[in-house]
Amino acid sequence: MIPNPLRDPRDRRLPRVPEPCALVVFGITGDLARKKLLPAVYDLANRGLLPTNFALLGFARRDWGDTEFAELARGAARKSARTPWREEVWERLATTVRFVQGSFDDDNAFDELAEHLAELEGSHGIGGNAAFYLSIPPSMFPVVLKQMQRTGMADSTPDRWRRVVVEKPFGTDLESSRELNELVDSVFTADDVFRIDHYLGKETVQNLMALRFANTLFEPIWNGHNVDSVQITMAEDVGIGGRAGFYEKTGAARDVLQNHLLQLLALTAMEEPVEFSAEEIRTEKLKVLRAVSLPDDLETFAVRGQYQQGWLAGQRACGYRQEEGVDAGSTTETFAAVRLGVETRRWAGVPFYLRTGKRLPRRVTEIALVFKRAPHLPFADTDTEELGNNQLVVRVQPDEGVTLKFGSKVPGSVMEVRDVSMDFLYGEQFTESSPEAYERLLLDVLLGDATLFPRNAEVEASWAVIDPLEEYWQGTEPHPYRAGEWGPRAAEEMLAAEGRRWRRP
Amino acid sequence: MTTLWDTTGSAVVKELAAQRRTGGAVLSGVALTLVVVADESRVTEAEEAATHAAEMHPCRVLIAVRRQIDAPVPRLDAEVLIGGRLGPGEAVVMRMYGRLSLHAESVVLPLLAADAPVVTWWHGAPPERMATDALGVFADRRITDSSLADDPNAALRLRAEDYAPGDTDLAWTRSTAWRAVLASTLDSVSGRRGDAVQVRGGLIEGDPGNATPELLAGWLSSRCGCSVEIVAGSRRAGPSGVEAVTLRLDQDEEVQVRADHRGGAIISQPYRPDSTLALPERALGDLLSEELRRLDPDEPYSEALEAATGLSGLSDRDPVREHVWFDPAGQEQEVSTP
Repeated sequence: MIPNPLRDPRDRRLPRVPEPCALVVFGITGDLARKKLLPAVYDLANRGLLPTNFALLGFARRDWGDTEFAELARGAARKSARTPWREEVWERLATTVRFVQGSFDDDNAFDELAEHLAELEGSHGIGGNAAFYLSIPPSMFPVVLKQMQRTGMADSTPDRWRRVVVEKPFGTDLESSRELNELVDSVFTADDVFRIDHYLGKETVQNLMALRFANTLFEPIWNGHNVDSVQITMAEDVGIGGRAGFYEKTGAARDVLQNHLLQLLALTAMEEPVEFSAEEIRTEKLKVLRAVSLPDDLETFAVRGQYQQGWLAGQRACGYRQEEGVDAGSTTETFAAVRLGVETRRWAGVPFYLRTGKRLPRRVTEIALVFKRAPHLPFADTDTEELGNNQLVVRVQPDEGVTLKFGSKVPGSVMEVRDVSMDFLYGEQFTESSPEAYERLLLDVLLGDATLFPRNAEVEASWAVIDPLEEYWQGTEPHPYRAGEWGPRAAEEMLAAEGRRWRRP
Repeated sequence: MTTLWDTTGSAVVKELAAQRRTGGAVLSGVALTLVVVADESRVTEAEEAATHAAEMHPCRVLIAVRRQIDAPVPRLDAEVLIGGRLGPGEAVVMRMYGRLSLHAESVVLPLLAADAPVVTWWHGAPPERMATDALGVFADRRITDSSLADDPNAALRLRAEDYAPGDTDLAWTRSTAWRAVLASTLDSVSGRRGDAVQVRGGLIEGDPGNATPELLAGWLSSRCGCSVEIVAGSRRAGPSGVEAVTLRLDQDEEVQVRADHRGGAIISQPYRPDSTLALPERALGDLLSEELRRLDPDEPYSEALEAATGLSGLSDRDPVREHVWFDPAGQEQEVSTP
């Protein structure tokens, strides 16, 4: 960065604002673009975090003019924006919005896009910098990337940067993700590829690092000497919505376990990075992912389930096989639970139980460290009957915060110890108005800060964990569970086999 | 909400504890205590701003209103609120009458959240010397607002004379948006040149009677080492008092940022078309939450203040003040009614 006399590292009031640049979104008419991206762009503009010279280019097949596109974008941004709506902010943003119509195999459309970009360099002063957001199915990547290569849009030069943002799923197995990575990396340089895992943009996930590495209190007990087991849960109360086509091919393990849960595991288990920088954090995460081991007995310790008709939150919910667009004999899992190990000195012998599912009783994501019981209790057995394991729970969503569970005396004349919990809760409004994950991640892309983005090697290491599971599950029937339950019985038995039980989140 | 009439400090502490127990965990986890000193006429405004700030930064809000210092009998009325009108957290509004006003700290001290930083904000005229107000002496950060004074420039000068690290002024906070736009404008000039930019001089159009343009000019000249002039603008400027800033750069170039009076600013720079950017006037609560983000001394502010007032060595001063007894009603009375 060129020194600027007005920038002072001590001056922490001035926001980080990206250099002048353009954001090009492929598949701008899609769901994600409308629900997340456009509102995030508006919110960034409203917070004054977009550079003085900024342009937004949308590319999609629909036959639209700039005005129609601007109208859609306005509607989408207004509907889902988190900051208050200010017409004048949008109006200013709208002057920078362009729409390019064409299909992805249309050379002319891409030539037009390249021309538009070159034109904006002059007229909007974006200085040639551009980020390309691929909000399209992975099957389209090759075509789009080849087009970008052909038109030279993807080349970063010392004068300008070109970055690409890729959404999950990053492939469907190790092999396909390798192909995808090779393809993306052959067109863009590895440093210019940003893989979005929106969980990593969440405030609490970043707070996990602050909690661990800024305090002296937790790190000394953050290991296999003190931790009995770790439970990472990501539960959703919704079904598959209208995404049957996608979900049938994917399933819970590929959709959530491979990316979100393994990333949370990596952040929980990683060693302290040498410094808080993208490269160092990714290095540590990668070490953990490479050290992840699968259980020998997959029958017991890798459970998948599928929801059946049931009641959830006072409403009747239909079974997965009855969902529209789902095959009546589908064996796609909507629940997955697995016991993983992390083969390092710190974690050897500590089971990491990961579970995710749809149509579970409530929407919750949390990381729970369950500590070992005290080696000796000076109290009578009856005094501590109600005492469980100490727990440290990082609540990722909702109710972002941290809970510490420990034993305390029940007031009264007899010695009785019972579990109590101590809560740290971010103020409700705090989380309301804190930047949405997409907003934060989008800003990081434009700033070129890769701290919160997994690297291709991490994605491949994650697939290396999932592939054997998928292989094992191939051709088996998932265990049924009723919608509104915490998963199939087999998942309970999986922990019971080792004398543990799931925490109810 | 409970209102305690003619009460004592200990009753307030008790009531707060009782409400925390019975009210349920409305908001647990307090990052700081915000002490607000306000005049009766500005309490509503201050409450609104403190509520907004408390939503962003979980804190305990203590609002102290000093009334009728000459009232013969000291008296304390207090409202204790948890999760009510004043946001999700704990809040106490205290109205102090008579001699109690001079000993407000005796009520406030036991109410501070344990071992959490204290921020005192005067929404009204702050004491000439902060050391004379005990509510400011125990604070880690002190926020004043020169724009409320009859003569903001004189008020700013007073703040500089009395400055200690940890002091800050909302007139400075009002300049943040302008400073951000100016910095990013220079970024785009240097981005185009591929080389650093030097600022040779500047001109601020706005309200010369407002403290914000003065601090902005001070900041520019402290950062760039050049002189920055302030001239009266042609239109009425908003609360920030700044209408346009023009910077003369090396290579005979010039950039200008001008408020468009519609919540935005027009940026003119060489070789590029004019562009517009959001630059809204910010609400008081928003300014206050910016202040609560950081609780360490603000060096850029002290440098801007030095440049604006011509004083020097501000950041070398002792951050801790010693309380100085000052009685606006005269000393003798204090002896008779301790």
